[in-house]
Amino acid sequence: MEERKGMAQILAIIPGLAVMVGTLYLLRTFVEPWMKDAVVFGQKGWLVQVLSLNYILLSIIAGIIYRNVFFGGKIPDWAEAGFRTTRLFIKSGVIMLGCLYTLQKLAKVGGIAITLISVFVFGTVLFVIWYGKRIGMERSMVGVMAAACGVCGVSAAVATSPGVKAKPSEVALAIATILGFGIMTMFISPFIGKALSMSDYQFGAWVGTGILNSGQVLATCLAFNPTFAPGTAVAYGEIWNVVRVISIPFVVFIVTTWACKAEAAESCATGADKMSLGKVFKDRFPVFVLGFFGMTALSSLGWLGAEGSNTLHLIRDVMSWIFGIGLVGQGAYIDFRELKTAGGKPLKVGLVAGTLKYVVALLVIMFFVSKDASF
Amino acid sequence: MRILLALDDSAQAMDAAVRLASERGAGLTALFVLDTGWSVYIGSDFLLGSHARGDFLEYTRDDEYSQEHKALAEIKKRAQVAGVACEVKTVASRHIADEIIKEAAQGYDLLVMAAPFRRGLEVMRDAPSAILKAAPCDVLFVRGGE
Repeated sequence: MEERKGMAQILAIIPGLAVMVGTLYLLRTFVEPWMKDAVVFGQKGWLVQVLSLNYILLSIIAGIIYRNVFFGGKIPDWAEAGFRTTRLFIKSGVIMLGCLYTLQKLAKVGGIAITLISVFVFGTVLFVIWYGKRIGMERSMVGVMAAACGVCGVSAAVATSPGVKAKPSEVALAIATILGFGIMTMFISPFIGKALSMSDYQFGAWVGTGILNSGQVLATCLAFNPTFAPGTAVAYGEIWNVVRVISIPFVVFIVTTWACKAEAAESCATGADKMSLGKVFKDRFPVFVLGFFGMTALSSLGWLGAEGSNTLHLIRDVMSWIFGIGLVGQGAYIDFRELKTAGGKPLKVGLVAGTLKYVVALLVIMFFVSKDASF
Repeated sequence: MRILLALDDSAQAMDAAVRLASERGAGLTALFVLDTGWSVYIGSDFLLGSHARGDFLEYTRDDEYSQEHKALAEIKKRAQVAGVACEVKTVASRHIADEIIKEAAQGYDLLVMAAPFRRGLEVMRDAPSAILKAAPCDVLFVRGGE
């Protein structure tokens, strides 16, 4: 695509962004209120209460429809720059989520989050390494799938591929598998959570542990409960998310070291012996997490006002719009043609490891985590 | 007669195009489309920093160039052995099928390509179907890609 600069670059963003903002406006103003009132199966609001079709899931569905129906499978050039801002919106939203906590509250829930994430991340990595070898998968792809299933889905796959020299065409298949699995879990998890009468704390902890892609964790929590406030599913899910995100560099280091260890040195980009955890940490650490902690620090110091203040109310309202706009864009990156081609060993590994993680996480949360959180 | 060969890693498609050009005394053009769509493909991912994203895109770009180098060397070798004059072209695009259709509209009589077509992110899509719907000339699909 032709590179644009300066003002032209800013102007190029407008059409796609206008579609995203306009879509969310229509969904929140007309579609969601209509769904809340609609009577289905004799129950008022069934679509929202049972299927969780609130503005969050509707935003993603709208994006999917744009891409797969109206755009004929590809984001058109006129909209591409605008839709690309989806990353910026979600990242900004995640940073603002930091205001839902204080450092004391993070410390209270952080312990169990770190324990669960560590066990599940490294447990999944070990399982994928064992299972991938068992079914004869190429070592580089085992590395990519171990990182993707273990920690943060697409991000981990992308972060690991160059180091283990995985074939890009196979990485694409792995990404399709991860996204496909994530979309499925995103739509069924709120239904399962409500059917099992899970609390916001249990639900946030479950999807934060069990869902492969971090973006989908947020969307699923908001589908379960669209409220931005301390003690809601998204507030808990995001703690789990942040712990996962921080673990990306460690997982990339371990998996790359493993993948390169038994291979000829020239088959790995970095060469395990030349790679240091410090370098991987510097290159792969998602810096925006610091913004999240910055917001938490401001909240802890009381600079954002007390609970119920106008400032906090405004921030949370802005957050709901930011996430909604970003999720329309996220939906537009889902191409069903691509998901349909997911197959072969990456699909097998992704489905087995993803399902196992999802189900075991549910059982652990249901049996060992109480409904009430400590904040 | 002018034949256009859309290049991927299929030796069978290369052989078929060279054979047809030799039998019919046709001019042969081989088109390689570098896939620049990776940035869009991972566009929804918000966790990665610019460094990690840049590393991955650089890695895919290097892989694209390496595949281009291999495919062009291979078709030149086969054409030379068969005594067929072969022009090679490389273009970069994030819509590979569109680029092939655009080139096919430049007065070619026959488009030869592998099905499935394994070029860049087209492994995820169905380029043969898209091309069949919009091709401005006859199309020969060659089976046998791995």
